[in-house]
Amino acid sequence: MEQALILICGIIAIVTAVMVILSRNTVHSAMWMVGNCFIIAVLFLLLHFQFIAILQVIVYAGAIMMFIIYAIMLLNLRRADDSADPLKNLFNGRYLLVGLLFIGIVILGVGFGPMALKGSMTDQAMMKLGEVELLANYIFADGLLPFELVSVLLTAAIVGAVYLAKKN
Amino acid sequence: MAEYQTIYLTLSAILFTIGCGGVITRKNAIVVFLCIEIMLGAVNLAFITFSQANQSPEGIFMVMCVMAVAAAEAAVGLAIFVLLYRKTGFINIDKFNLLKW
Repeated sequence: MEQALILICGIIAIVTAVMVILSRNTVHSAMWMVGNCFIIAVLFLLLHFQFIAILQVIVYAGAIMMFIIYAIMLLNLRRADDSADPLKNLFNGRYLLVGLLFIGIVILGVGFGPMALKGSMTDQAMMKLGEVELLANYIFADGLLPFELVSVLLTAAIVGAVYLAKKN
Repeated sequence: MAEYQTIYLTLSAILFTIGCGGVITRKNAIVVFLCIEIMLGAVNLAFITFSQANQSPEGIFMVMCVMAVAAAEAAVGLAIFVLLYRKTGFINIDKFNLLKW
C-alpha cells in the first residue's frame, strides 16, 4: 500500500518535472513547478517529516514560486521565448546517454549501502518529543553557527536584490 | 521504512537528471531557473531520505539551509533578470556575453 503510494507520487513528480521543461509557455512551466513542489511535500509526508513538508509548501510553493510568477508577469516573455525545440535537443542521443549514465552511477553509489542507525531521532524520541523539538535541540546546540550564517546570507540577499532592482 | 530508501534515492537521481537536462537544453532564463529549483528539490529529497535512514537531524537541518539558499538565490537571480530585461529587452541566456573576454 505504502509502496504503491510512493510509486504513484514518484511518477507524478517525474511527469511534472518533465512538463516544466517541455512547456513552451513560461507561465505553464511555473504552474507545473508548483505541482512538483506539492508532490515533493507529499513525499516528505510519506517519510514522516511533517514539519519539513509544511516548510516545503510555504517556502517553495508559496514564496519562491510567487517570486517567479511575479517576475514572469513583469517581464512580458511571450516575445522573448524563442528557444529551439527542447524535445529535439534533449533526445539527440548525447544528453540521454549522459543522463542514463548519471542515474546509474547514483543508484550504484548510494542505493545499495547498508545504513548505520545512529543519532537522536529514534522512533521513541519522535513519538515522545516530536520532530520540531528534536530539530530545535540540534539547531540551537550543534548547528548554531551555520544557522546564524544562513540568516546573514538572507540579509545580504535582500540588500543585494533591492540594490540591483533599484532604478539608477 | 528503510526498505523504501532505494525508491526515494532513485527518484531523487531521476529528478536531478531531469533538472540537469533542462538547464542544458532550455534557453529561457526563467525556465533554467525553474530547472535549478527542480535539482534543489531532488537534493532535498535525498537529504531527507538519509536523515530518515540514519535517524539523525543533520539532514533536516541541511534541507532548511538549502531552502534558505534557494530563497536568497530566487531574490538575487530574479533581480538580475529584471535588470537584464530592462537593459536589453530579452532574457535569452545564449545571447548574453557580458562576462566573456
